[in-house]
Amino acid sequence: MRRPTLADTAPPKTPVLIGAVSLCLLVGALYLALTAPPDQQQGEAAKLLFVHVPSIITAYIAYGIGLISAIWYLIRRSMAADRISSSAIEIGVVFTAITLATGMIWGRYVWGVWWDWGDARMISTAVLFFLYLGYLALRRSIQDPRIRAGRCAVLGIVAFVQVPIVHYSVLWMRTLHQGATIIRPDLANSTVDSAFGLPLGVSILAFLSLLLFLMSVRVRVTSLEDDLSRRLGTDQPVGALIVPPRLQGENGG
Amino acid sequence: MVGLPSSGSTAPTSLRKVTHRHLLIPSGVLLAIVVGFFLWGDLTDSVIYYLTPSEAVDQRADRPDGYRFRLGGLVEQDGISASDTETGFIVSDGAASVQVVHTGAVPQLFRVGIGVVVEGAWDGGVFRSDTLLINHDEQYRTVEDDQPYQIPTP
Repeated sequence: MRRPTLADTAPPKTPVLIGAVSLCLLVGALYLALTAPPDQQQGEAAKLLFVHVPSIITAYIAYGIGLISAIWYLIRRSMAADRISSSAIEIGVVFTAITLATGMIWGRYVWGVWWDWGDARMISTAVLFFLYLGYLALRRSIQDPRIRAGRCAVLGIVAFVQVPIVHYSVLWMRTLHQGATIIRPDLANSTVDSAFGLPLGVSILAFLSLLLFLMSVRVRVTSLEDDLSRRLGTDQPVGALIVPPRLQGENGG
Repeated sequence: MVGLPSSGSTAPTSLRKVTHRHLLIPSGVLLAIVVGFFLWGDLTDSVIYYLTPSEAVDQRADRPDGYRFRLGGLVEQDGISASDTETGFIVSDGAASVQVVHTGAVPQLFRVGIGVVVEGAWDGGVFRSDTLLINHDEQYRTVEDDQPYQIPTP
């Protein structure tokens, strides 16, 4: 059995390229956002639009990738599909957290409250967040890779039900949260002035390329972990096998 | 399955039964609560986030003085008055309007024409509120005529 060498863990060129592209887009989006004019109603607070909306769209798409690759896993039993699904969902959870955080800050300034338990959009987004946190907890709780992949695929499919609920909550119910800005029934009547549309569009592209970059890295790390645990012939997660380097002069321990 | 050293092929039958029953009972109870809530619970006040002025006026008899609910609409052009502790304004939905007397802090974005949600209760013909939230819409527009943005004052 060959021991893994440094060459095995060196990142391939594609993720580096995607990373560079997403960095450029992020810098561009930041520039456009900072130079955008203030909003008539909300003033400078409306700049949070350029983070809040791209991050939830990215989360929706990440959960969508999670759903499709979970279905793919159940059909083909491919561990690659399981890796893609879990990586996408993990990153989706991060972007959901960013959405909740920016939303709360925005709400405090504009509405006057951090949070409102009566609001359908806020509650449904919190449910979405905890549902997918549950998915991550489920992954941690099963050691056998095949059993874990199967059960997580089922949850990855079921949990996606919450995504349209979050999106349509503002159309189905009266909420404190504003209605849909982008994906709405009458697309022809744009709700966003072109001065905000351009930075918003670039920011969405930047966030999506960031998703692609993070996924390429995460999938690779997961596949290296799986590789290592297969070589070591153990079902244990390899995380537990990694120990901090011992300091000089430290004895045994 | 592939030739993995199976970790549970000898004991799973009894184990699996227990696991499924453990899932079945709580989910059944949960389902019963949800269904019961929809059948017998009075959901109008907890599901609908706020009433419009038209609904509030129509259903005045259902909500006696002191009965708390949320009211949402647009702040009318006329009728804004402010004292040290109270702010008076009229909330309208185009068809009906309600005189609101609000006690407490007023959010920065409060102004004529903006959406608000107030929480409180009827007191005769006026709605006394102690919570005032701004309910802006999904329109994002630049400030016209290159006027610098100023935080509006009521």
